[in-house]
Amino acid sequence: MADEKKVAAVEETAAAPDPASADVVADPTMENVDTAEAKRAGKGGITRRGLFIGVGSTVALMGLGALRYAGHNPLNHPPGGQDEAHLVSACIRCERCYEACPRQAIVPAKIEDGLLGMRAPMLDFNTGNYCDFCYEENGGTPKCVEVCPTCALELPADYQVGNPESGETGNVIIGLAEIDPRTCLAYRLTGCRDCYDACNYGAIELKDEGGANPIPYVVEDRCNGCGACQAVCLSLSSGSIKSTERAIVVRPIEA
Amino acid sequence: MADNKNLQEAATAEKAAKKATAASDAKKLKTRKVRTVVGAVVFVGLSAGLIAGVSTGTMSGFGWETISMLCPLGALGTMIATKTMIPRAVVSLLIIAALVLLVGRAFCSWLCPTMLIDRIRDFFRSPKKRRQLAEAKNSEIKAISKQEIEALKAAKAGHACGACGKCAPKPHGKVDSRHAVLGGALLSTAVFGFPVFCLVCPVGLTFATVLLFWRAFAHGDATIGLILIPAMLIIELFVLRKWCSNFCPLSALMNLVSRFSRTFVPVIDDAKCLETAKEASCSRCAEVCEADINIRHPEFGLRTMADCTRCRDCIDVCPTKAITMPVFVGKKAGKTVVEIPEPIMDDDLRPSLD
Repeated sequence: MADEKKVAAVEETAAAPDPASADVVADPTMENVDTAEAKRAGKGGITRRGLFIGVGSTVALMGLGALRYAGHNPLNHPPGGQDEAHLVSACIRCERCYEACPRQAIVPAKIEDGLLGMRAPMLDFNTGNYCDFCYEENGGTPKCVEVCPTCALELPADYQVGNPESGETGNVIIGLAEIDPRTCLAYRLTGCRDCYDACNYGAIELKDEGGANPIPYVVEDRCNGCGACQAVCLSLSSGSIKSTERAIVVRPIEA
Repeated sequence: MADNKNLQEAATAEKAAKKATAASDAKKLKTRKVRTVVGAVVFVGLSAGLIAGVSTGTMSGFGWETISMLCPLGALGTMIATKTMIPRAVVSLLIIAALVLLVGRAFCSWLCPTMLIDRIRDFFRSPKKRRQLAEAKNSEIKAISKQEIEALKAAKAGHACGACGKCAPKPHGKVDSRHAVLGGALLSTAVFGFPVFCLVCPVGLTFATVLLFWRAFAHGDATIGLILIPAMLIIELFVLRKWCSNFCPLSALMNLVSRFSRTFVPVIDDAKCLETAKEASCSRCAEVCEADINIRHPEFGLRTMADCTRCRDCIDVCPTKAITMPVFVGKKAGKTVVEIPEPIMDDDLRPSLD
């Protein structure tokens, strides 16, 4: 940075005389007169410097556009963002959906998951929040979809809300929950059934229910990826399990 | 002799102008302080809203609940990328076009967070560095001003017409490097089908930085973005010189409309201006302009009055209060071509044939 500043300073002061002389401001030097002459002689239209900036920036922006082919990791997107190609095309990273989410479950996607989707909205269930499609807060119309000014989040025309009261799954599927038997506490015969209790759609059932050690499993066609199970999963906070993710995780459905 | 008297007058006026240069700008630039406060309040307000989940949006999509005012470039980008008409985007574009027609690029000097970043950067500059930067700019502008006055004098004396900038062809084209950046951004958006510039927009990146840091502190959510996003901002605003005048495609987009603006454009009263009234080299207005406009000698500024951001800095620094910002300026606005009053000369100085 310091070097860069120096270069800039040198460039800018190149035309100026020694700053020590008192009359520097009032006295035009020959170089300055030259600059003025050059400006006077300049013809209409874009300057060489302008052309350089324009061409350079266009090349840079085209290169940035090529990120489209680099792709990024599949992520859980808020309702209506399941068509990832459309989400990437329409999202201008205005951050309205993060604010609108009454549960603050929507977060910006990280650079680590790919530059293309960077800062686009994704759902993070590890914060203890999950998505109920705003059933409780807004009668089943997700607020993120409502506020999205560019229609990047757009529900299908035949949208049916998942109903946590009646247990209907709905037809917008965020992802699919997946249990990792290596880290799941229930598999260690602790009797943990938090995910089962959290699921409103009957998508988690227990093997050996009523027995001493019930073990949860996911009923795939009932899961809409709301993330309630992941939000309550204790496996990471129980202290003894080394893993980077929770034992039950919602995975995006890859098209 | 009368000529001597004229010269003396010019010299005194120049001294006054120089004194004004030396006088601390901070005292005079009252509106700049107001602008900084307005910008900071809006930025802090929107950032707090972003963190607290108040649905006010950021500058990319400002609004309440389902009502949104979209960033014009984002609106264009998203419509080109998805090849659909988005009603909210069209309405936003129209509203913003109307606003720009009314107040030009005022967003740039009153609300844009890059203005705040620039102010912070300036605050941390050493006084010596600040002086150096100012002198580099000023000496060139002073040189132009002196030359122009000489040329004008010569022209009035009856010869060498065409020597001054007013008669010479304008060096400004209808488009500049920013428009090329805008074109590149829209082309890339059309080819690759996503709003490419949104990934690197400094306004968006500023709010992204706020959100990332908040998430890092509140949720311990560390990501490479914490370094990369501020780094992109620094490259854009510090390494690429004069982002706003040379690169910003948003400024280019606004420029396309603001060139037709005839309201709130600063104009110089030539009867008061030191350069026209006293033939003294001053050009304080050009030195202070952050949009690189030379309002006194428009032919020599990097940019034209089409890029005026209504920042009022020129009005604040003018030593004779010759610049005003009338509500409506008519056709002359944007050109600031003003009639030079006939110089006061004694009869014996008039060129004669004998």
